[in-house]
Formats: sequence, structure tokens, C-alpha cells
Amino acid sequence: MKRSLAHRLIQALVVLTGVVLITFVMLRIVPGNPIETMMGEHADGATIQRMTAEMGLDQPLINQFFRYISSVVRGDFGTSYSLGRPVSELMGNAFANTLTLALLAALFAWIVGLGCGIFSAVNKNRLSDRLLMGTSLLGISLPVFMAAMFLQYVFAYRLHWLPVSGTDSWKGFILPAIALGWNNAGQVAQMTRTTLLETLQEDYIDTARAKGQGTMGVLVFHALRNAMLPVMTMMTIQLSGLLSGAVITETVFSINGVGRLMVQAISGRDIPLLQATSLLATGMVILGSLLADCLYAVLDPRIRRGD
Amino acid sequence: MKRIIALMLTVLMLGGFALAEDAAPGLLRTAVLYDISTMDVAKTTDDYLIPLNVFDRLFETRPTGDASELVNSLVTDYTVSEDGLSYTFTLREGVVFSNGSPLTASDVQFSFERLLMLAQQNTEIAEEIAGADKVMGGEAESLEGFSVLDDTHFRVTLSAPNAGFLAELSAPAMSIVDAETMAKAPKFGEIPADTIGSGPYIVTEWVANDHYTLVYNDKYWGPEPEVKKLVVRVIPDATTQDLMFKNGELDMIDLSTLDSAIVASSYKTLPEGRVVSTPKVGLNYLLMNENNEFLKDVRVRRAIAMAIDVDQIIQGIYMGDAVREKGIIPTGIQAHNDALEGIPFDPEGAKALLKEAGYSDGQIHFELSMDSSSSNSSLQLVYAVISQQLAAVGIRAEIVSHEHSAWLALRNSGEMDAFVARWGMDYNDPANIMYTFFGNENNSKARSANYADKAIIARVSAARSIVDDAAREAEYQALEKHLIEEDVVWVPMFAELHLWALGERLAAFTPHWAGWTDFYAADFAFK
Amino acid sequence: MPWNRRKRIERASDLRLESQIGEEERFGDLMRRMARENRTAMASFVIIVLMALAAILAPLLTPYAETDMDLLNRLAPPSAAHLLGTDEGGRDVLTRLLFGARVSLLIGVVPALLSLILGALMGVIAGYRGGMADAIIMRVADITLAFPSMLLAMVIMYSLGGGIVNVFLTLTLVNWANVARVVRSETLRIRSGAFVEAARVIGVSRDRIMRRHILPNCLPTLLVLFTLNIPTSILTESSLSFLGLGIQPPNASWGLMINTGRQYLYNAPWLCFAPGAAIMLIVLAFNFLGNGLLDVLDPRQKKQ
Repeated sequence: MKRSLAHRLIQALVVLTGVVLITFVMLRIVPGNPIETMMGEHADGATIQRMTAEMGLDQPLINQFFRYISSVVRGDFGTSYSLGRPVSELMGNAFANTLTLALLAALFAWIVGLGCGIFSAVNKNRLSDRLLMGTSLLGISLPVFMAAMFLQYVFAYRLHWLPVSGTDSWKGFILPAIALGWNNAGQVAQMTRTTLLETLQEDYIDTARAKGQGTMGVLVFHALRNAMLPVMTMMTIQLSGLLSGAVITETVFSINGVGRLMVQAISGRDIPLLQATSLLATGMVILGSLLADCLYAVLDPRIRRGD
Repeated sequence: MKRIIALMLTVLMLGGFALAEDAAPGLLRTAVLYDISTMDVAKTTDDYLIPLNVFDRLFETRPTGDASELVNSLVTDYTVSEDGLSYTFTLREGVVFSNGSPLTASDVQFSFERLLMLAQQNTEIAEEIAGADKVMGGEAESLEGFSVLDDTHFRVTLSAPNAGFLAELSAPAMSIVDAETMAKAPKFGEIPADTIGSGPYIVTEWVANDHYTLVYNDKYWGPEPEVKKLVVRVIPDATTQDLMFKNGELDMIDLSTLDSAIVASSYKTLPEGRVVSTPKVGLNYLLMNENNEFLKDVRVRRAIAMAIDVDQIIQGIYMGDAVREKGIIPTGIQAHNDALEGIPFDPEGAKALLKEAGYSDGQIHFELSMDSSSSNSSLQLVYAVISQQLAAVGIRAEIVSHEHSAWLALRNSGEMDAFVARWGMDYNDPANIMYTFFGNENNSKARSANYADKAIIARVSAARSIVDDAAREAEYQALEKHLIEEDVVWVPMFAELHLWALGERLAAFTPHWAGWTDFYAADFAFK
Repeated sequence: MPWNRRKRIERASDLRLESQIGEEERFGDLMRRMARENRTAMASFVIIVLMALAAILAPLLTPYAETDMDLLNRLAPPSAAHLLGTDEGGRDVLTRLLFGARVSLLIGVVPALLSLILGALMGVIAGYRGGMADAIIMRVADITLAFPSMLLAMVIMYSLGGGIVNVFLTLTLVNWANVARVVRSETLRIRSGAFVEAARVIGVSRDRIMRRHILPNCLPTLLVLFTLNIPTSILTESSLSFLGLGIQPPNASWGLMINTGRQYLYNAPWLCFAPGAAIMLIVLAFNFLGNGLLDVLDPRQKKQ
């Protein structure tokens, strides 16, 4: 197991390097001088030339790449073109918000998803089950921006219960977390229901039932524990997806997070910022799937035994 | 299940009540679309909110009803020499920076020299002082045309006379910093603690891309403002700002990026005084490239100007919240000509003119290039309406979207056929717009205008140094009339009104004289 | 990538042509069987066809032109003249929706098809050739999959700039890797199968084996992947356009309609509601159809 983990780690590093290289090249084949864009309406030619040289943008791409890599290793992501601040500072501010948002969204998705999934499985094929599963299907196919706009409209604009935007108190996180977790809640609910029902059909459950443990007892003690493995793995993967998937939510609720930063970077043609945010986002996804693999290995007795 | 839902709703409601708490007295909450990149005015031409509030200048330009006037700020008195080259100033006594350091004539000298030595942004005004080129080029450390007479007196000598010099000194670029503080504040403009000025406010906090906070400076020499604390949040999305304001999370918002239709339906209905407006001193124009095979024909340009119904755009898209402009020098700027007729709307005349010139229906076609990153939905509508109005006289103007930097690159190459854009005035002088577009061949090319009449170009350039106000105004107006009515260099359209909405706690607000987004926080009054 | 989709892709890769639709079962039969066994999927199919027809016949269904502006009639609520009201330029929303369907459906179908072709090609090459080609293709696929699809799409759109052709390209580049993976494992499986071995023994060329045996065997899998990639493409494009990075005006897709409509949400909710409902409907329909196809083609399902 240690060997396969090391193998996965190396693979992750290779992928990460590939990501850096690809984004680096992709972002730099764009026509137009970023300095010119940065300086805007009132810039003059001489200043643009001087700044281009200062930032090393007149050098061959390969030199620029190695310069970039070596400074990234030292923790220096450069200075944002559009915001004029060190990228690491901007990302630090933003990452804390995104992390809070993603964790809250995951919490929402898991509690609501697991609850609904179990409830549905217990009440299989009853009206409540169908309604709940229909809703969760709607949750899956509802685009995030629709969910976000809807929540903002009802709970902030109409009812004035919660702020439209704000990260200074926990209240500002409630609506975005629900909007972001909505989709995942639907997925967790569906998955929990299916796996629970599958496990319930298996023989040992019948044995437990024969021993005289009631339906609810059977569910809690046996089925749930056995059905959790795929659900848990899915949840880990979801968490990394949430970290990177907050783009739309952060835009609608205007939360200073990595996703909003990325959108700003794109509209500001801000290469250093875009490069760093995409690196961070993909890094999170790779880390997430690595964690999911570990979790799977720890939880699944078959894999543990096989190693 | 029901109980859980009830519980959740209770929690949410409690949260809601807690939220309804009032903002502290003297606190003003507002939002901007973009964060500032620096607090140092020597490094930006965009982010003036902090320079305006944290620093002082020698003069300020203040709005007076429909016009504006120059008032003394750090300067209490001045004299000008006969030849218009030399200015002697007297500084206000007893002014100190927010850290207690006194403001003297050598601080003024230091501020001007620093601007030139950094040579990044905003150097135009200081460049007019004699010897500025040497400081900029690194050949000299001190500015030859600047002499400190004593702590409160100094003399500035220009390299050429300029009647607009005093007005220019009120530009944010000419903010005064402290020489002594700067020596031990290496992160000036980057961190609040190092960014020390003498203005009514102190920056206390700046979380990049999130918010910044200004509080009242109790060492300020002037009257104490009503706003004691200003929190500016970065909300890059106008719709979210709109909602936040309506939800009571902001006390003031800038309505300029919201569609006028929304402003009309949900803001114009607010009680009297809650919406404040001022013209944005500047001009929206349709530029026509004289290198284009059709647009080089002045008859085509004239026909286009005749075909566009600007009033329909003002009424239909801007709901009347714009001022009709007919020339180049916008309303509110010296030498603006109210009597200029321009080219009146006349679609039948346009058709006849094109026919007379030998063009068949639909023969004339060109690209109308749009900057797609513009968050301004009104501008998109302006493009669509212009294209439709031109189609009505048989001209095909195809709207093509370009991403911002591609748009800029194409325009700077001088090969963009036509586009609609806005020029905002930096200071109250016609040269700021006339010279930029028509006073220099390179400038004109970089705007994709490619205006070619060398004699006119030379006259526009020379007009800058006419010292006599009346003569200067007459020359600018004559040039403007020629450029608009004879050469039809562009189709002047309108200057939007800049509107702000004030929350329930506010009683009044006086915007910046030029209609800028940036404001003086001292210009607010609470109820 | 959403978990359910991952699951379905895994299931899709288990589909076997030879065990299911034999030579005798054609598309028509397949559809008939689906109509019998899965009504939701059939209803979805009908909805999709109707939407496609509405998009194609758009000019006949509405008296307005897509770009007809009416500044005196901006943001008018739904009425007899404008069933879904008008937008910020006084244009008829229903008309915009119908013409937008052209763009949105194209954006669903074209990239799904392109990524299918690209992915299948890459997958077959990787699976059949093995060695260096396999390593490189699969590493690139890994890197592509490591990007969250939305972020990858954003980065590519940044480099290419907006516009419909670039949206096609972007979505293709985002979706090909999944297809390649599935096809590669299918190829590996078939390659070791007896009939391919036999073909090789009697001297059939490599290219011919790929063309005649491997690709046809992947078809059911590809059909399902194609159907499931369409809603993903539509959703990704609508998100891109929502952020202003996708289709550029004066063109209109549903996502872009929501993007511009958003600022009027509180004054003219129909501007967002109509395209939003359309997106949900089409995405649900394609998902149901994909699931239906999966069930019809899945041997295990049939046994039950």
C-alpha cells in the first residue's frame, strides 16, 4: 500500500507540473501586450516599453517559464497586473474565504443529502420518497447560478433575513454555502438511497433481521455502515470539487474567494493571477482525489487485505 | 422532519433580527467595482479615492451649481508674473501631516520631484515646470524651476506659459506628501501605516480585493466632516451592489453601471434627494477611421452623422439621463461652445447625400468594433441601435466583439474601422481632449482616427500655449467647428449623467466636479 | 466532474455490442425497445426533438426578428404581443429564446461529437499501439482530468477569446479525455479477444482491425457518452456565458441571456426565468435519455 501511495504521489506531481506548463503556455499565446491592457486608456508608448522590459515580458518564453518556476518554488507568484498587489497576498485573503465556503457547503450537502437519502430508503417507493428524489434530481440539474440567484432573491432581497454579500460574519456564508452545496446534496441523497437499498437486499441483513433486530436497527447498525464506503469516497472528491467549483457562487454573492479572483483575473487579462489561481484550484483537486484514494484504501477491507 | 424545518427557520429568523442592527453613527458604507491597485498617486491614473481623501493639494476644483471654480487649499495666496511663466505661492500656516510632521514648501518640492523621478504615471502636469525633463531623465536631482523661498513660500517657473496651470494643480496627481515621512516609509502607497497625508482622513485598513477603511484625521486643518469612518467594499458586480443597497448593507452606491431602465424603475421612485446626479464631464463619440475605404469619404461620414438619432439613444437607452453633446469640447469644460450646431439628425438627407455621392444601397459596409469586456449593458444597446439606424439609410455596420486587450491592440494599430467609446476629462482644459485626438499624428493614429489635415493638427497643438484666455477659447472653438462641421471627424453623441443613490441615513452628497466615481467623503451629510 | 456522471461513464464502458444489439437490431428497434421499457427516456427524446424543431423553424414560429429593437418597449412584461415579454433592448424574449436554442443546441451537440471523435481516436491509438503513444496520451488525459472542467474551460476561453467557434473548441478539449479513457480500456479488452487475435493471425492489418472490429464494438458506449456529454456541454457553456466568457453579443445563447438578464432579475424576472427553465428542461431531457439508453443497452439491466 505504501508503494502504491508513493506511485500516486509521483503521478500527482507529474500532473501538477503538466498543469503549470500547459497554463503557462496557454496564457502566453494570447495576442496583445498585457502591459498595454493594464495601463489602459491613458498610457504612452515609452512607459509601456519600459514596463514590458522590467517585467521580463520581452524575453523568450522558455526563459520566462524557468524564471516563473523558480520564483514559484520560492513562494513568489509575482504581482497581479490588474490589482497591483502581490499574488500570494491576494490568494491568501481569498483562499480563507473559499475554504470556509466549501467546508460549509460540504457540511450542508452531507447532512441534508445523507438525511434525505436515508429517509428515502426507509420509505422506499412511498410518495415522500418519490417527492424527495424528484427534488434531488432537480437539485442535480439546476445550474448553480440559478440556485444562487434564487436564494439571494428570496432570503436576502425579499425577506431581508440574510445579507446579500459579506464575509465579515457567518451570516454572509449561509446562502452561498447552500447554493454551492445544493447540487452535491442531491448527489449524496441519490447515492445514499441507492447504496442503502442495495445493501439492504444482501443476505446478512436478512440474518440480522432474523435475529430479531427491527427495521430501524438493521438500517443503523448494519446497512448504513456498509453502505458508507462509496458515499464517503464520493464526499471527499466532492470537497475538492467544491473548492474549485465556487466560481459561480462567489461571483453571484460577490465573495472574495479564489473563484471570484479567477474571474477577475480573466476579465483583467491578469496572467500571474490567473496562473496562480488555476494552479491552486487544480492542486486542490489533485490533493482531493489523492485523499479519496487513501480513504478508500483505509476503509475498504478488501484493499487492505490484498496489500 | 417538520420540527427540524421549524428549528432551522427559527435560527434563520433570529439571524435576520440580529442583522437589522443599525450602522454606527458617522459610518458610511459604500462599494466599488474594482479594488485600487495602489494608494500612491504617482503610480495610478485610476484610483483617486484615497489620494482625494487622505492627501491635500495646493488647490481644489469645487463644483458650483452647473460650473466649477478653483479654490485655495494648501495655498492661501499666489502671484503670477507678467510673462505668465513664474508663480509665487504662499502656503497655509500650521498644516501638519497625520503623524504630526509639519507641511512645508520643501515637501511640495519633494512631491513634485518624486513624481518626475518615478516617471510612471501622472507626470504631465509636473513636466511643464522648467527643468522637469532633466529630473525625469535622471540628469538632475532637483527641479530647476522650483525654488523654496522659506517654509511657507515657494516659486514655480514654467518652461512655457500655460493658462491652465493653476487648475491643473488641483488634479489628484499633484497631491502633497511628506519628505521626512517618506524617508522612513518604504511601503508608501502599499500599506496603510506608511501612507501618510495631510487630508481629512487616515487609511487604517486595506484588505486587498476585499475592502478598505478610512477614518477621520483629528489633526486635519480644515472643518471636521460628518463622515467619521468610511468603509469601501470591493464588489465587482453591479447587480450585487444594487441588491446590497436595497437590503440596507450599503449607504451609497454608484448607479452608473446599472441600466437606466432599472435606475428609472427602482431608484427614481425613491424620495426626493435620494438620487444625486451630475454630468460626467466627458463625451461618448462614434469614431470613424479616415483610412477606411468608405469612411475616408467625408460625405459618407457626414451621412453617418445625419443618420444617427442621438436623442433617441438618450431617451430610449439612458431614459433621459444624458446630456446631448454636439462637438468635441464637452459641457463643463473651458471653451465649450453651446452655440455649436453640429450636424442635425436627418435620415432622408443622409440617403440623398449617399445617392448623390454615387453609393448604392448596402454598398457601404464596415465593422463596428465593440469591447466585449465592457460591463456596461447600455453601451451594448448603443451599438445595436446605431447599427440599426445606419441600416435604415443603407449602411451596413456589423457589430464585432473583441476581448478588451484585442480591442485595444486593434485600436492602437490604427486599423479599427469604427467604434463607440467615451473620453472622460482629467482636468478642466480643452487640450485634454483636443490634443489627445487631433493634435498629434501619432495620437490620432492610436485612436484609429487617422485624422490627416496637417495644418489643423499644427493649430490644435499650438493652441495649448496661447496665454490669453479669450484668444485661446476662440481658437479652440474655431478648430472644433471646423473638425465637426467640415471634416466630420467623429459623431459626438452625449455625456451620461453620473447618478448615485443615497441610503436612508444620508441627507446630502456633492459629487466630484467632473462627475468622477471617486468622491470626497467630507461631501456627505447625515440626517 | 459530478459523481453520478462518473458512475454512468463507468457503467457505459461496460456495455458490450456483441452481447446486446446484434446485427439484426437497428436504431429503430432500439428506440422501440426504449419506448417500451423506459417511458421517461422516450418522453425526453420527444422533448429534445421538439426543441430541435422549434430551433430550426424559429423564423416561422415568430413574427419578430432576433435583433429587432424597440426602445419604447423595453422590459415589457409578458403579454399577448410578447408571450415571454421583452428584454432590455425591447426585443421579443420568445424569439430570442428560439434563436438562442439554435446556439445552445449546437453547443450541446457539436462539442460532444467532436470530443467523441477526438477521444475515440486517442483512446484507440493509446489502447492499440500501447507503449510511448499510450503513455503520452494518457498523461495528457490525466492532466486534462485534473483540471476542474469549469476552470479548464475558463483558461482555454481566456487564451482563445470568446465566440461560438472557440466555445466548441474549448468544450471539446474539456470533454475528450473521458471518452479517450473509456475507449482505451474497451480497446484493451477487445484487443485480447479471440476474434481480433484470429484476425491478426490471418494477417489483417492493424488499421483494418481498428476500423472494422474495435471501433464498432465501442459504439454503444460511445452513443451513451455522446448523449451524456451534451447536457454537460450545455451547462458548462451556460456557466461560461453567465460569467461573460462564452458566447459574445450580438449572438445569443441561453446562458448569455441569463447573464444579461441577471441585472434585471428583480425588475423583469422573465428575462432569466425563460432561458433558465429551457436549460433545465433540455439538461434533464438529455440526462434521462442517456440513462434510458444505458438501461436499454446494459445487459445486467435486461436480465432484471
